[in-house]
Amino acid sequence: MTPLDWVVLFATLAVIVGYGLYRSRGSNTVDRFLLAGKTMPWYAMALSIMATQASAVTFISTTGQAYVDGMRFVQFYFGLPIAMVILCATVVPVFHRAKVFTAYEYLEQRFDSKTRALASVIFLCQRGLSAGLTLYAPAIVLSVILGWPERATIFLMGVTVITYTTLGGVKAVTWSDVQQMCIIFVGLVIALATLIHLMPPSVSLADAMYLAGAAGRLNAVTTDFDWNDQFTLWSGLIGGTFLFLSYFGCDQSQVQRYLTGKSIAQSRLSLIFNAVAKIPMQFFILFIGAMVFVFHLFVQPPMLFEQSQLERLQSMNAYRPVAERYRQAFESRRQAARELIDAHRARSAAAEQHRLDAFRAAQREMDRTRDQATRLVESTGGEPGFTDTNYIFLSFVTKYLPVGLVGLIIAVIFAATMSASAGEINSLATVTMVDLYRRYFHRSGTDHHYLMASRWATVFWGAYAIAFAGWGRTLGSLIVAVNKVGSLFYGSLLGVFVLAFFFRRVGGTAAFVGMLAGEAAIFWAYFTRISFLWYNVIGCAVVIVTALAVAHALGHGTAET
Amino acid sequence: EPPPFLGSWRRVYVAVLLYLALIIAACYGFTRAFE
Repeated sequence: MTPLDWVVLFATLAVIVGYGLYRSRGSNTVDRFLLAGKTMPWYAMALSIMATQASAVTFISTTGQAYVDGMRFVQFYFGLPIAMVILCATVVPVFHRAKVFTAYEYLEQRFDSKTRALASVIFLCQRGLSAGLTLYAPAIVLSVILGWPERATIFLMGVTVITYTTLGGVKAVTWSDVQQMCIIFVGLVIALATLIHLMPPSVSLADAMYLAGAAGRLNAVTTDFDWNDQFTLWSGLIGGTFLFLSYFGCDQSQVQRYLTGKSIAQSRLSLIFNAVAKIPMQFFILFIGAMVFVFHLFVQPPMLFEQSQLERLQSMNAYRPVAERYRQAFESRRQAARELIDAHRARSAAAEQHRLDAFRAAQREMDRTRDQATRLVESTGGEPGFTDTNYIFLSFVTKYLPVGLVGLIIAVIFAATMSASAGEINSLATVTMVDLYRRYFHRSGTDHHYLMASRWATVFWGAYAIAFAGWGRTLGSLIVAVNKVGSLFYGSLLGVFVLAFFFRRVGGTAAFVGMLAGEAAIFWAYFTRISFLWYNVIGCAVVIVTALAVAHALGHGTAET
Repeated sequence: EPPPFLGSWRRVYVAVLLYLALIIAACYGFTRAFE
């Protein structure tokens, strides 16, 4: 980072926070603080929804994933437009007409207080568990790549988020998200343009795409059906639909974005925008990762992208032969790539097939050497299951992008972290205040009292996220495991909302028992080899079947059961 | 409120689903073109 990069980074952050606070003036009632007085236009909600979903991990992990595994991850989003259409037709008008602050408030109107309380607690557990990781994951990558102190990075991002979220409420969060999303778009476009410019003069964009395809990095669609494969067309269309129905329909961190709309139509448009824009955006991010791979066909990449582990290995005797094997593998792959392009241009099918086989063999040798280095990390005291995927993109950015652009890309990482974190903290505070404090602990306060309670709840959840992230290094891989556990709650939440909307005969007790059964089914699935995208389908189905059975047993399907 | 385009929300939903089919077809073609 040069002085110019620092100026770009801090100027960007100052503009984002300053503009967010400026637009949030007058957030001095509970309604304005938590729902922006229902005045938000569709485009602000749309970008806020997108920014809340896109955390820093989205950029640093997705690009890395395309580098090592290709673009299959884009299939994960194929269910999103289907989910958005279903939500626009069902959830949006129901929530708007019910005039609720939270999704779980509606469950008491439809079922009873215990179902609302269980759903609220499930959300607080689920979102609370991931709040720390949102800050921790980018901080650890920035600390390795740039040498920044981990806790100082977490503290800087966390305190910035707490400041504008506590002072300006959901309006500040939304308008900051709009700014952050614009910065993210600009940063990504500039990153790809620079990347293409950095390719060797003899390699055109068409050549680069041909090489990426030859190495299996442009494999956007897999039509095979496999329960254990995370990313196929079918897991994306079916499992993805259920996951996004859960996330956008039952998770307050997203529901709160479109509850701020000035009308049902504006809220629907915000979801429709995401239905249209999300897949191309993810395709674009993955394509950047594939192009980083092509760039490194001609410029030798480090054997391991996590610098600290590479430096640790360099002091060992076992390192030298692996490093030499890696250097030779890279040289033969570079030669094979050049010969493959020449054969492709000459349009000689036989020669091209021969060169293609040689190129793929060289790529397999590179992969084997990297696997050997990874095993060396694990066998010499590194973490089991070590992977350096999250370090690939930022390693490229800091080494090869020109001065000023590094600061912009780091600002993108900061913006993505803060927008995702602000949405989480804001929604956790809302559920704490509306569904627990105002419902069970203090039922007759003034509006000002609840406004201050909302602000203190925001400070509490922000401080909790900082503390949890600050202890991330001590917790080690546990923090990632905790986040995985947090993702196991969606299926039962989706199930209870499906019951609420489509099964008028099911009452509170049946819904409550169904949620518990659905949660048990998801935890069972967790210990099988079934891919996580199917958990929500299983959980939702078990909730519905159990609730219908209980309703039938208790009262032969009356509305009171 | 009706949507600002296409006249009714039902048509908007159908358009989104057709768009998804087009996107999947494009991704499939992209994969086949470069494999």
